[in-house]
Amino acid sequence: MIKPLQKIPKWIPFLFLLFSFAGFLDATYLASKHYLGSPVTCSFLKGCEEVTSSQYAVVFGVSIAVFGALYYLLLLILAIIYFDTKNIRVLTTAGYITLLGFISSMFLVYLQVFVIRALCLYCMMSAMISTILFILGFFVIHISRQLNKE
Amino acid sequence: MTLFNRGFSSKFKRISLWAGITVVVVGSVVLMAYIATKPANLTAASLVNPNVTHEWFTGPENAKITLVEYSDFQCPACGAYYPLIKQISEEYKSNVKFVYRHFPLRRIHKNTDITANASEAAGVQGKFWEMHSMIFEHQQDWAEKSNAEEIMIGYAKTLSLDPVRFKNDLNSQEVKDIVEADYQSGIKSQVDSTPTFFLNGQKIQNPKSLEEFKSIIDQAIAKNS
Repeated sequence: MIKPLQKIPKWIPFLFLLFSFAGFLDATYLASKHYLGSPVTCSFLKGCEEVTSSQYAVVFGVSIAVFGALYYLLLLILAIIYFDTKNIRVLTTAGYITLLGFISSMFLVYLQVFVIRALCLYCMMSAMISTILFILGFFVIHISRQLNKE
Repeated sequence: MTLFNRGFSSKFKRISLWAGITVVVVGSVVLMAYIATKPANLTAASLVNPNVTHEWFTGPENAKITLVEYSDFQCPACGAYYPLIKQISEEYKSNVKFVYRHFPLRRIHKNTDITANASEAAGVQGKFWEMHSMIFEHQQDWAEKSNAEEIMIGYAKTLSLDPVRFKNDLNSQEVKDIVEADYQSGIKSQVDSTPTFFLNGQKIQNPKSLEEFKSIIDQAIAKNS
């Protein structure tokens, strides 16, 4: 029988931190592009502009990328709090939050593939990152449940 | 004393940790904003004139300043530039020739061809610009519709065009050839997105505002006077 883990392996929060930061950079780039970049154009080569200029790129008047950046920033801060305090509940909270990002990302991928019919590389990167974070979050929750059982 | 030191040191560590993180976060935001605003490398693309017998323009035919726009009626960005161009062509009507050329992005815009053809079909009856405005001003109403052709015929009626003739021209080879000639000239001029502007034959970076657009034109006027 596999011996249950005694604690969360260090690589999990480390990867969590790394990917949250990568997601933050990605979303910040998209948000900057949205608000500061040169005006969007339409192109068959650059799907990003097609996607980020679509009506789905904005929710309540705010670019989705801003929500994305805040989401990754929150996860980043939680990961750092975990490193600082070693409080496992902080990490499990972050783990539950990743579900939100995962569902949102899946919906955005659906919009790109089936509704807008254009793919934006940076948006797909964000979807990939949030999927990885979701998997990491799943591990965290799974391990912490095991720890609680003991 | 040791206790105080330890408390102080851990407090200090914690403050430096969060200060460091704040710096990294703010730094990344600034960096990303810088990368996002860095102008893209402009290939010094120059304009190739299409092999057509006529072209649609406003302003004087032999103006010293010519602004050529490659545009797609279904492109949201072109729709966003439409009011700017309208204002510019009005303000500079005495010294700037503004040319409109079709660059339909057929792969991503299903109604782009039908609208380009509609503008040319209206042009046959002398109302290209009226149709051009109509199409842009109502972009949201037809962009994703499957009955765009009917909508265009409706616009033709609103513009008091002969609907039968309009419908015939809409699908005529002649009209299709005009649109295609514009498109091919765009390809030759290295147009890869819409709208793309050429000022006196030189590709320009899309201006961010009306003011920026005007200042680019003003500079060209000053240079050519």
